[in-house]
Amino acid sequence: MTGKKAMETRSPTSSGAGNTNLHRRILAAVLLVAFGLGTTPTYAETQIFDPQTRKWVKYDREAARKYFSRNKQPPEAFRRQVVKFRTAEEPGTIIIDGNQHFLYLVQPNHQAIRYGIGVGREGFGWAGIVRVGRTAEWPTWTPPAEMVERDPNARKWAAGMPGGPDNPLGARALYLYEGDQDTIYRIHGTPEPWTIGLDVSSGCIRMNNDDVIDLHSRVKVGAKVVVLMQGAALYKGV
Amino acid sequence: MSLRQFRLPVVPATAGIFMASLTLAGCVSSPEPEPQAMARSSQQTAPADLQLLCASAAASAAEAGSARVLPVSSRQLDAGNYQVDLDAAGKRMSCIVDSEGNVKSIQPSGNGGRAEVAAEMAN
Repeated sequence: MTGKKAMETRSPTSSGAGNTNLHRRILAAVLLVAFGLGTTPTYAETQIFDPQTRKWVKYDREAARKYFSRNKQPPEAFRRQVVKFRTAEEPGTIIIDGNQHFLYLVQPNHQAIRYGIGVGREGFGWAGIVRVGRTAEWPTWTPPAEMVERDPNARKWAAGMPGGPDNPLGARALYLYEGDQDTIYRIHGTPEPWTIGLDVSSGCIRMNNDDVIDLHSRVKVGAKVVVLMQGAALYKGV
Repeated sequence: MSLRQFRLPVVPATAGIFMASLTLAGCVSSPEPEPQAMARSSQQTAPADLQLLCASAAASAAEAGSARVLPVSSRQLDAGNYQVDLDAAGKRMSCIVDSEGNVKSIQPSGNGGRAEVAAEMAN
């Protein structure tokens, strides 16, 4: 499927998107806490360093939108860059640090390409070990049934929103599988680039379109994907 | 000089020191990080590569495949060390790793693993 347009299966992708599995997530979170598994969901905030005041300041949706409006790009930490990365994982492996909002693509010689990402909002974070099952360029997005029911704007796309710059999946999508099963989670682009660095999605990993195009060009179907998320409400593949 | 008279100057002096320390504290600003490090989460977890080094060590120790070992939480212990908690094929393990990437210890931890608890709940 790589390199071709593909029909998107129903996905929780965008902010405010479907509540598929919501009850299961809530139950999982309650049970995790009740059984004292040490990962009590403590919801954190993103902070950025303000060089003028020399203080760490809250970076929420409003701050992010203002920053992006001024700079036309996210803070430097969330921009694509090569970093030191000591790991035994093979080059080509994707490591997602959901807490710090980074996606690493492992490279040879203890290096990785680091990209900024947006991740699942409160109650939608997940962790696990999965793989890239397939990929698509400018994928079609089909809103989940729950979203179609409650959101008149989504209703017109019940049969699928064609790929394009306004599509919530953005320029590329990497479909994450657990064995041969589609997890319904994706790594994908976004028409909302200011949301990089935030907890905003329904569990998908979102990237700037330029970044997801770059990642898509480097990743092979079958690549291992490790998702780290302290306080995850759900686990996949382990 | 009565005791009361003797103590009077002490109170303003203490308050002065307190105020001075507050003022000094207010002047202290964070050291400026490198531009690529100018973002963080208030939830201070171990760097991802260090978590994965612990996962590799746990996979060997638990004789589990690396595909079945997942870091589930982490924290900074001091300036140079992190603790990483892992689920190794259902067994809970705890790892200490330093910021240079040296795994200092890996051992089973007290709590049951996530999978074990899930199995109990299913019964």
